[in-house]
Amino acid sequence: MATRFKTQDFDPADEVIAIDRLCVELGTAEGGRRVLDEVSLTIRLGETACLVGESGSGKSLTSLAVMGLLPANAIRVTSGSIRLGDTDLLTRSAREIRAMRGSRMSMIFQEPMTALNPVMRVGHQIAEVLEAHGIGSTSERRRRVLDIMAQVHLPDVERVYRSYPHQLSGGQRQRIMIAMALILEPALLIADEPTTALDVTTQQQILGLISELQRVHGTAVLFITHDMGVVSEIADTVHVMRQGRIVESAPAERLFRTPQHDYTKALLDAVPSLHPRQPRPQETRPPVLDVESLGKTYESGGFLKKHVAKRAAEDVTFQLRPGRTLGIVGESGSGKSTVARCVMRLIDPTDGTIRLGDADITRLSPGQLRSRRAKIQIVFQDPYRSLNPRRKIVSSLIEGPINFGLPRNQAIERARTLLETVGLPADALDCYPHQFSGGQRQRIAIARAVAMEPDVIVADEAVSALDVSVQDQVLHLLEDLQRDLGIAILFITHDLRVAAQICDDVIVMQHGKVVEHGTAGDVLVSPRHAYTRALIEAAPGRGWDFAAGREIAREETNA
Amino acid sequence: MADVSRATTPGGGIARLLGLPPGTRIGVVPWIALAMLLFIVLVTVFAPLFSPHDPIALSPLNRLKPSSAEFPLGTDAYGRDVLSRVLYGGQVSLLIGVATAAIAVVAGLAIGLVAGFFRLADALIMRVMDAFMAIPPVLLAVALVAIHGASVSSVILAITFSEIPRVVRLVRSIVLSAREEPYVEAAISLGTRMPVILWRHLMPNTLAPLIVQATYICASAILIEAILSFLGLGIGTETPSWGNIMADGRTYFMLKPSLIFWPGLVLSLCVLSINILGDTARDMLDPRMRKREA
Repeated sequence: MATRFKTQDFDPADEVIAIDRLCVELGTAEGGRRVLDEVSLTIRLGETACLVGESGSGKSLTSLAVMGLLPANAIRVTSGSIRLGDTDLLTRSAREIRAMRGSRMSMIFQEPMTALNPVMRVGHQIAEVLEAHGIGSTSERRRRVLDIMAQVHLPDVERVYRSYPHQLSGGQRQRIMIAMALILEPALLIADEPTTALDVTTQQQILGLISELQRVHGTAVLFITHDMGVVSEIADTVHVMRQGRIVESAPAERLFRTPQHDYTKALLDAVPSLHPRQPRPQETRPPVLDVESLGKTYESGGFLKKHVAKRAAEDVTFQLRPGRTLGIVGESGSGKSTVARCVMRLIDPTDGTIRLGDADITRLSPGQLRSRRAKIQIVFQDPYRSLNPRRKIVSSLIEGPINFGLPRNQAIERARTLLETVGLPADALDCYPHQFSGGQRQRIAIARAVAMEPDVIVADEAVSALDVSVQDQVLHLLEDLQRDLGIAILFITHDLRVAAQICDDVIVMQHGKVVEHGTAGDVLVSPRHAYTRALIEAAPGRGWDFAAGREIAREETNA
Repeated sequence: MADVSRATTPGGGIARLLGLPPGTRIGVVPWIALAMLLFIVLVTVFAPLFSPHDPIALSPLNRLKPSSAEFPLGTDAYGRDVLSRVLYGGQVSLLIGVATAAIAVVAGLAIGLVAGFFRLADALIMRVMDAFMAIPPVLLAVALVAIHGASVSSVILAITFSEIPRVVRLVRSIVLSAREEPYVEAAISLGTRMPVILWRHLMPNTLAPLIVQATYICASAILIEAILSFLGLGIGTETPSWGNIMADGRTYFMLKPSLIFWPGLVLSLCVLSINILGDTARDMLDPRMRKREA
């Protein structure tokens, strides 16, 4: 299926928002660090402008400046203007801005669970928007809320009206947020990474909903995202930000076909292709990790309560050979992390066997297990929590080897070498984790795993929290380590693009069960199971080769 | 993301250990509280140097004297110098406060770590703690004093018993959330032994809240000691404590209110200073409070 960029011409349409040479500095005194530097952009009626860039580039700051939500005592606007219609927002009082929020501009956020009040029925939360603007009687407000809830395609609106946020799914919560943002038909909708926390299939629905409502209401949308796939699906205009500046602005198709700025090119280059890489030669050595009909059932309830069993993983079987990478993909709740944690024996499996090398580790006691731990190591998703913030890097790196009897000075020597291997200076040893960026911390976590000289590394969403360019570097690092040391990798991910680029074989999981298992080429190019097909269908920008700037040839995607 | 922002380590030592941000600002009130507390501690610890008289020497001739150059705060019904008694009395009160806080924190930390990390021990320990919490501290003290007689150690024991469960709950809740942190799971994967994980990765998380808790325990122990002594259940009147000085003064309160006023004032100032310091410590150490100010 070919990628179809939006090509509507907005030149004749009215400007909804015009940001002109906006500068923002940190701190309240003169001469603070400039975090937004001469940012200019306009969005017209019915236009979707995407603001893309990596973390810290100033995307969210720009949107907060428009909403008048910059923390007054820490960040200040030094020059420039923001015009919403014919109102200059920066000259208005806090009171006037508040009256405009919700009615003329509104915002939806990344995490609908934290953006909604957990102790208030969602219907009342939407009605609160009307109440704050003094609109309608109680029954009139209720009618309008039910109406907008129907517009965002929530099922059984009467029931949902009375529900609390935790009773709804992530996608439904995001629909509530959208309903709340659009109930007063604002001219401008700011969406800050609204689908980043959602599964791909849900993401697809939410993106569809936003553009549907945009067509109906003629809203201008400022869409903030780091995901180039999403950009290719929804953007009319793209603005690329880096270090507080807009480095390139162009209509979507032009930007993807002929990017001008080097940074844009680098960003596009770093987007992994959905098309699997060349298969590597078969590996015939015996497997280092052999999992057979693994199952994990959680029992809840107990004394005087009804027993409820939840099967988080069921009948999972796979083999991992030295130097190979096996990907486990699936949406949240599919059981992929349960499998990873069972294999690590961080939780105890209820069924099946796990063989690590020639030893069955399924039922080993903690003491017996400890001596086997070196052979299998894990790298976690969140680089900010996987290193103890109170301990120096050196202590984290030598902890494992010392547990296994390596003398301290040799362990430090090994840590120093490893830091170089993962691309960090050796003097990083004496630093604390907070002195490093997310990508650097992930490299340290990888070094910590490799220090144990393991046969298997379990990477549990190890690159999901990283920016694409950093993600690219970390994936290459894993690949280099695998090539040099022959480590086998069990790679857990929700991102099919990443899976396509690093995995030899792929397992697709849904509701705790394996629905498809095969080589990356077979599973991702010619999926047999309907769920795998749905996952691939939902991957944004799947028909576009971002690095090459052209469509992926038809036979490659649908072969 | 390319810029390597590894500034020189901001603040080492205690600040780092407690996870304090560099440049945390403290107002003027905590400094006054600290000065006042230090003053009270110094004059009571070195009471022999500062007291004009022997605190227990009876002097029937000088009964109920008003303030004078010889007796700055006057004398009590037995002719004992009130200033000297207040100074010496602080020794017992502060000893009870500090000892209770120290014992309760150390014992609570150990029990709490075990309860938080080992699920089997948890249920048992916490039910025992619940039972402890059901006993009112004053009644427990009455029982202990009845069995062992009134002494500093039985008062400390009684107060410690009722404070330990609170510390255990605090430590346990911190351990329960910290043990889910990936760095703890990473340590398990690295083959680190459980006791080492408890000490190295979990215990430091409890340090900051425990310091805060210790100040509250210290203040409340000083108060409970005063209550017990006032009820006549504390330490005998031959060893002055702020509580029993006030208890003695009760009889002549209508005639000479200063007998209760002076020890009461010092007691209040001492407890107030400790509580202000505890609040300051909490504001500095609690990441949520810190965020609100930023």
